[in-house]
Amino acid sequence: MSRTTDILVVGSGMAGLAAAIVARSQGKRVALLSRGCGSLNIGSGCVDVLGYIDGRAVAGNPLDALDALPPRHPYRLVGREGVETALGLLREVCARRDAPLNAAATGNRRVPTILGTLKPTWLTLPSFQAERLETAETVLVAGIRGLKDSHPALVTAQLRRYPHPARIRWHETHLENPMPGAHRNLSPLDIARLVETAEGAAWLISGLHKALRATPADLVLLPPVCGLCGTTWKGLAAAVPVPLVEMAALPPGVGGLRLYTALLEELRSLGVDMIENARAVAAECDGGSCRALVAETACGSRRFEARAFVMATGGFMGGGFQSSPGEAREAVFGLPVLQADGAPLPQRPEDWSDKDIFGSHAFASAGVMVNADMQPLRADGAPALNNVFFAGRSVGGYDFAAEKSGNGVAVATAWRAALSACAQC
Amino acid sequence: MKQTSVVIIGGGATGIGILRDLSMRGVDAVLLERGGLAHGTSSRFHGLLHSGARYAVGDPESARECIEENFIMRRIGKQCVEETEGFFAALPEDDPAFAARWVAACREAGIAAEAVDPEEARRLEPRLSPRVREVYRVPDSCVDGFRLVWHNALSARRYGGEALTYHEVSAIRTEQGRVVGVEARNRMTGETVNIACDYVVNAAGSWSGVVARMAGLDVCVSPDKGTLIVFNHRFTSRVVNRLHKSSDGDIFVPHGSVTIFGTTSTPTDDPADSAPTSEDVVRLLDIGEPLFPDLRSYRILRAFAGTRPLYTPSNASGRAASRNFHIVDHMDEGLRGMASIFGGKLTTYRLMAERMSDLVCRRLGVTTPCRTAEEPIIPDPSPETLERAARSFPAHGVKLVADRLGDAFAEVVGNTAGEADNGMLCECEMVTAAEIEYVARDPDTHSLHDVRLRTRLGMGTCQGTFCTLRAAAALAERHVDFALSPGRDVQNFLQERWRGLRPALWDTQLKESELSRAVYLATLNLDGACREQNN
Repeated sequence: MSRTTDILVVGSGMAGLAAAIVARSQGKRVALLSRGCGSLNIGSGCVDVLGYIDGRAVAGNPLDALDALPPRHPYRLVGREGVETALGLLREVCARRDAPLNAAATGNRRVPTILGTLKPTWLTLPSFQAERLETAETVLVAGIRGLKDSHPALVTAQLRRYPHPARIRWHETHLENPMPGAHRNLSPLDIARLVETAEGAAWLISGLHKALRATPADLVLLPPVCGLCGTTWKGLAAAVPVPLVEMAALPPGVGGLRLYTALLEELRSLGVDMIENARAVAAECDGGSCRALVAETACGSRRFEARAFVMATGGFMGGGFQSSPGEAREAVFGLPVLQADGAPLPQRPEDWSDKDIFGSHAFASAGVMVNADMQPLRADGAPALNNVFFAGRSVGGYDFAAEKSGNGVAVATAWRAALSACAQC
Repeated sequence: MKQTSVVIIGGGATGIGILRDLSMRGVDAVLLERGGLAHGTSSRFHGLLHSGARYAVGDPESARECIEENFIMRRIGKQCVEETEGFFAALPEDDPAFAARWVAACREAGIAAEAVDPEEARRLEPRLSPRVREVYRVPDSCVDGFRLVWHNALSARRYGGEALTYHEVSAIRTEQGRVVGVEARNRMTGETVNIACDYVVNAAGSWSGVVARMAGLDVCVSPDKGTLIVFNHRFTSRVVNRLHKSSDGDIFVPHGSVTIFGTTSTPTDDPADSAPTSEDVVRLLDIGEPLFPDLRSYRILRAFAGTRPLYTPSNASGRAASRNFHIVDHMDEGLRGMASIFGGKLTTYRLMAERMSDLVCRRLGVTTPCRTAEEPIIPDPSPETLERAARSFPAHGVKLVADRLGDAFAEVVGNTAGEADNGMLCECEMVTAAEIEYVARDPDTHSLHDVRLRTRLGMGTCQGTFCTLRAAAALAERHVDFALSPGRDVQNFLQERWRGLRPALWDTQLKESELSRAVYLATLNLDGACREQNN
C-alpha cells in the first residue's frame, strides 16, 4: 500500500514545518512525515539569525552581515533577499496564529537566560523583548520554588559579570511553589500549562504583585512560564505594572513549543496531510530521481510516493545522520556527510572535534552539500537527485550552535527547498 | 614550619591507606597530594575488587593476597563494595587446557571457582554470548575507588591524620644521609609549605619515580597506560571475565548505573597520560564483542585512561610485569628515613598500607599493631539518622547518600531539617542539593569538578548536560563561591566530560553531544558569555 502526494516533507522541526507551509501555500498537495515532535520543542523558540562570525559578535542587523560568511554557507546559497523573504513569511504566519515575532530596532536582541548569560537572537515572541533591560535601573529576577532549573542567585551573579548592564541594580525573589502536591520535579512547561488556567494565571499575577510590593523594580525577569498562547501572555503583561521578560531555559522549551503549536495550527488549517510517528528509512530511486520513501510506522512499513521531497531530518541529534567510528552518512539516501569545505570527515574520530569543547568542531558544521536550489550534490558537484531537496541542520556548511543561527538557517533553507520542490511538480 | 613524624606523598588508595593506618596507631602523619584525592590511578581503573582468580595462574601470590583482602574489604568497607560476584566465561576459541589449569590454580590459591551450566549463566546474564562454552562463578566484586579513598581520608581525619590536597612536593630535604623534611607548593595559592619530619613515605604510584628522583634515588617504575570504556547502563549484573590468559579488554564490571569495560596495556613515559584514544576504544570493542555480541549497539558514555605504576626492576613491561607490590627501604641505598612502595593494585591497598606502616613503625620505634583489617572504615549511621534522612531524601536515594557521605551523613541530614526543598539535582546518580552544598563547602573542594569526584554528580546518563547547571545554580543560591565564576566552572566541568567523549564521538554519543551543544551554546550562549563576561 502506498500514498501519493505532490510534495513529501520529512521532519517536523522548524525546517520541516516551514517547508510544508511554503509548499502548501504554493497550491501543492503536501504531506508531512514526522518521527517525533521535532527539535523546536527543546529550544527557546527564539529565531536566531546570526549572532557570531568566528566568535566575533555581529553588530546591527544580522541580515547585513550575511555577506561576510563563507560562500558555501547556507545563507549565501539562499541569498540575503531570500532569507529576508523567508523570515517575512514566518512572521506573517506566526502573527496570524497569535505568536507574533518581531525584532529589536537596532540589532540582535540579547535575551537573558537562566544561566545568567545573554544570548543574541533576532526574532522573538513578545515575552523575550530583552532590549527593555537597556532602560531598566532596577530589575527583579524571579524564581519559582520547586523549579530546580531556575535560580535567581545564579542569574544575578552571572549577569553582573557583563561590563555593559553593570549599572542595573539586581534583586532576587522567589514565587511560592504553585504545585506543592506534585511530588516531582517541575519544569517551566508544567508551570506554563498551569498558567493557562484561570487559577494558575491568578497565582502568577498575585505572586508578582506581592514580590513587586516588597521589592519595587522597573522590570521582572522570570523563567519561561507565561503560558503557552499569545492571549495568555497579553493578559499577564497587562495585569502586572512593570514589563515582564522571560529567560531562555533548559528543555523542555516552552518558547519553542509556542512556535511549534502556532505552525502546526497553520498546517492543519492549510490542509497539510500529517503522518506522525513515522521514520523514513529508505528511498526508492530511479536514475536521478526519487519515486518514494519507505517509512517505519506504527502499522508497519509503508511507502510514500511524491513528485518531490524535502528532507528536513536534522543532523546527528535529530537522526538525519548516522555515524560510526570515522564515518557519517545521511540516513535515508546514504548521501555522504561532508565538512563545511566539502572535504570528507577525517578517519580518526578525535579529528571530528576540537580539544576545546567550545572550539571549532568538524562535525558541528558537517552535513549534506547542496547547491542554491538545496539539491544534494555528488562529489563532482552535479546534483545527486533532481527532485530531492534538503533543509535545516541536515544541510552542511554552518554551525548553528556557535553562530546562533539555527532557526534562521532552518527557515531560509526550508523556503528555498520548498520552492525548488514546487518547481518540480 | 610545620612539624610531623611522617610525610606521605600521594593521595591515592595506598597513600591514604597508610595515613589511616599510621593515624590509627597514633603516629603523627601528613599526606601531600598534588591534585584532588584519588585523582590518579585510584579513580582510573575498572572498579573491580579482585577475587584473585585473574591472577591465579600467572601470579599465585597476588591471587592469595587478593582473595584475603577481598573478604576483608567487604567487612571494613561495605559502603564502597557492591557484592556482585563474578563469572569467568570461555568461548569455543579459548584454550580448554588453560581453563583446566586455571580451575586448579584457583583451588590452590583458596579461591572458590564453581562451574555454572552455560545455560544457567545465560539465564542470569542474558546479554552474554550464546557461544559461551564454560562458565565459573568466583567471588569478584565491585569497588568504588573514589569513595574508598574518601572514606579512608575521613577515618584518618578522625584519628588526627591530615591530608593536604593540591599540594605538590617540590623538594625532599636531606641532611647527612637522612631525610629531615619536605617542601611543597600549594597549587591553589602558590604558597610554599615546609614540613619537618622524621620519615617520608613515597606512595605516589605512577609518579613515584619522579618523587624518588627528588631524593636523588633512581627507581624502576614504568607507568603503563590502560584505557577503559564506560557504557550507559548495566548490561551485566556481575563482573564478567574472559576465561583465558590475562589479556586486553577482557573484564566487564557493572558499576552503579553503568558498566565499565577494559583495559588496554601500553607503556608510557608520562604518568599523567590519561588521554584515551579512539584506536583504543575501537580495539576494545573488537575484543569485547565475542563475549557480549551486542556491545557495539550500547551507548558509550565516555572513555578514560589511567596509568598503572608497574615496578620493573627486571625490565619486564606490560602484562609480563608483576602486578604485585614492592616496598623499598632506601636505607639500603644509603638514605635513612625514606621508603617507597611500588606496584600493587587497589584490591590489596590495605595490605600494602599495613606492610608499609609496619616498616615505618619499626623505624620509628612504634610497637602498636595494625588494626585496619578489623575496624570498619566508616561507622554505620544510626537508625534515627536514617529515619530522619528518609524525610528529606528520596527513599531510594537514602542508602546511596549514606554510603557516599560516610561520617558526614548525619551532618548533611541535619542540614536538611530546616529546608523546604532538598532538590534532586542529579537524577542519574541521586545527588541532592544538600549533599552538593556540604561537599562544596569542604575546604578541599575548589570546583564543580571536585564536587563530581565525591558525589558522582554528572557521571551518569546525562554526563552533566542537565545537572551541571542545576548544581551551579544551587550553589549560587546558597552563596558557595569558587575561584571561578559559575559560568566558567560549568565550562570547565563540561570540558572535562568532553575529554572522555572525543575518542568515542560517533552514534549515540555524538547525538548527545549535539544536544549538549544545542543547550549550552545555542540556547544558553555559554561560549559567547565566557568571552564576554568578567570572571
